[in-house]
Amino acid sequence: MGEVILTMEGIDKSFPGVRALDQVSLEVRKGEVHALMGENGAGKSTLMKVLTGIYTKDAGKITYENKEVVFASPKAAQEAGVMIVHQELNMLNHLTVAQNIYIGREKMSGKLIHDKAMNKAAAALFQRLNIEIDPTETMGNLTVGKQQMCEIAKAISHDSKVIVFDEPTAALTESEIKELFKIIRDLRAKDIGIVYISHRMDEIKEITDRVTVLRDGAYVGTIDTEEATKEDIIQMMVGRVIYEEPKSKSNVAKDAPVVLEVKNLNAGRMVQNVSFRLHKGEILGFSGLMGAGRTETARVIFGADKMDSGEVFVNGQKVVIRSPQDAVRNGIGYLSEDRKRYGIVVAKTVAENTTMASLENFMAGLFINKKKEAQVAEEYVEKLKTKTPGVEQFVVNLSGGNQQKVVVAKWLVRNCDILIFDEPTRGIDVGAKSEIYHLMNELVKQGKSIIMISSEMSEVLRMSDRIVIMCEGRKTGEMDISEATQENIMHAATRRE
Amino acid sequence: MKKISNNRFVKAVGFNRILLCFVLILLYFLFTILVHVIQGQNFISLNRIFSALNYAYFMGLLSLGVTFVIATGGIDFSIGPVMYCAALISGYLLTANGWPLLLCLLVSILVGSLFGMLNGYLVAYWNLPSFITSMASMMLARGVGSVFTRTQSVSWPQAAAENGQYRMLVRIVTESGTTIPTGLFVLILISIICAIILNKTKAGRYILCIGSNKEAVRLSGVNVKRWEMLAYIICGTLAGMAAILFVGAYTTVQPGLGDTFNNEAIAGSVMGGTAMSGGVASIGGTFLGVMIIALLQEGILAMGFQRDYQFVITGIIVLVAVYVNVRSQKRKN
Repeated sequence: MGEVILTMEGIDKSFPGVRALDQVSLEVRKGEVHALMGENGAGKSTLMKVLTGIYTKDAGKITYENKEVVFASPKAAQEAGVMIVHQELNMLNHLTVAQNIYIGREKMSGKLIHDKAMNKAAAALFQRLNIEIDPTETMGNLTVGKQQMCEIAKAISHDSKVIVFDEPTAALTESEIKELFKIIRDLRAKDIGIVYISHRMDEIKEITDRVTVLRDGAYVGTIDTEEATKEDIIQMMVGRVIYEEPKSKSNVAKDAPVVLEVKNLNAGRMVQNVSFRLHKGEILGFSGLMGAGRTETARVIFGADKMDSGEVFVNGQKVVIRSPQDAVRNGIGYLSEDRKRYGIVVAKTVAENTTMASLENFMAGLFINKKKEAQVAEEYVEKLKTKTPGVEQFVVNLSGGNQQKVVVAKWLVRNCDILIFDEPTRGIDVGAKSEIYHLMNELVKQGKSIIMISSEMSEVLRMSDRIVIMCEGRKTGEMDISEATQENIMHAATRRE
Repeated sequence: MKKISNNRFVKAVGFNRILLCFVLILLYFLFTILVHVIQGQNFISLNRIFSALNYAYFMGLLSLGVTFVIATGGIDFSIGPVMYCAALISGYLLTANGWPLLLCLLVSILVGSLFGMLNGYLVAYWNLPSFITSMASMMLARGVGSVFTRTQSVSWPQAAAENGQYRMLVRIVTESGTTIPTGLFVLILISIICAIILNKTKAGRYILCIGSNKEAVRLSGVNVKRWEMLAYIICGTLAGMAAILFVGAYTTVQPGLGDTFNNEAIAGSVMGGTAMSGGVASIGGTFLGVMIIALLQEGILAMGFQRDYQFVITGIIVLVAVYVNVRSQKRKN
């Protein structure tokens, strides 16, 4: 490790209603790989966005190469030598590798683009990095791993001195990861400072020199990777005080019947051999880190995406679910994490959204019985305490929590007994949150069964009767609420198998 | 402005539609003056009105049909040629093959429905973009029509001739010589049916919701493909009906034409307040939009200008209408 190249001190950043970063610090030295860790929403991405000028900080100081700097844009950061390799690759699949690497700064001969020169420069770059990629190949033909190498090569071609890797291994195979690590070690030897964001504990131990941990937007500490054990790091990540009392024991009777059973579900890379059971009146929490495959699993069960193999049983009967229609027919309702895109039709009214899944029950011959529709919608507005001036109000004018209630109403009107809540309180303010919790508890009391996917540890511990933990498309743990602790959930969530 | 849009009457009828009425009346007066100044003729005459209505009948059905497709967020560029194709095939069967009149009228509607089915199937089930799909079926319709009649034009019988009863769908001339514009009643009746379908039935509800957020509707367990396809079938069927009103007004159909009607029909729908992005549509607005288009065409002809001038003016009006449309959508968000 060499001298310090980048320090961020006392960084503050607030968004309306949220304090995303609170006095956060980070120090990167030349020739070190510095891990940045934390749960979902801990502030890692926000911190990196502040660094590269996507967000402006409210307070704090960034020092780069011994000078205080403020990067006005990612481009300015790039020009100064600070570069992010994003998790989602920003590549243009129709262009060649070389064209991608030099996009925005094409080598020209007069007024025309000089492809030959770019190919030559890219070839030289790859040689320097010991990567075997043909610069004239079309980007779309490369594997994700190779594309990532191109992204890295692009970062290096900018003469970067600090490179941020945002979950670089999420999409890579074992051998590609080895190759990536070789390159990272190479970069380290060339005195480049590297920030490495990852959830994978094993990788952290293998490749990084120091670890900085964030939790709920606050700086927890920095330790040498050598000296830290896995447990230490997990402790730092989860060691928060939980204000709400977590559930201490399950509310579900031991002999409660199984309403939904999933056996060996497979669908692509994100759902591998997932099996679990949901009992009547149970809230089954699905915990895990971003990209664990929980939403994907839910969507496959609901028929929104295709299943490769596996079996689903509803009330002991084997069912075939090929489309959301099939799922709904079997009494399964899905409340998406992205309400605006998948949950509600924003330009329609509360009443119209409420009856969306069960319109056939509101028909008088050929025509929709709008009176009955309004009546039922009003009934559910009252039942769920949805705050709306009326059922003729457009859903777009409702707050997030109330939109969520409209979606709940949609499934209750359809009489669904199995409800999948995907991040039920995302983007919902604190008051509405506890109302949604109350509502979920009411629903299970009435005999409904709930799968709750949540990335908030406190939510999982407070609501679930049982918890399934996933990591990278596999189920890596299952426990009763009485045995669940933040630590053992996090252990399972970072277990790579 | 705020005050006006809060008025009960304005709210019930819709600001947009009242505006269209004003535009319609304004245009009428404008043409009256211009035709008088340029041609020294009187624009206010029953003949002129009937002539404009003749254009409005078939254009109205095309425009109503495409409104359903636009409501789903799609587009159909094949309606004009499909109408021609339907008129050619059924007319050829009537005049050359001597099929009974009623059957020929059914064939006309059926041809339209089949093209609608084709478009709808490809768009909904194969996920092809509606723009390209309807372009292809536009060419297909033009070609099929020509091939079927061996590139001959088809002349449907005159009102007094044998098998001329179909013209009673457009107008009836009584013995005393007064003309009853029955086509207007047909257009109004079909408009009302369309309004009912769009606003009161499951089909209309889902068509509008699909245009607004297809994925959310699919995830509500709705068979979105079926309803999306239905919108195209309604559109095609109305194009097949439009063919009957077209020959009822003009009798002669030439192969290889019909493209220009697409744009005017879409223009009528958009002017009427149908959002190109889907999810919002108005049958009453479409009706008024078509009336404006028909008046424009008649007025410009009356001024002694060529049809090309009409395209220039329609083009400008469509641009203004789309601009207003997009602006008001933005304000809503």
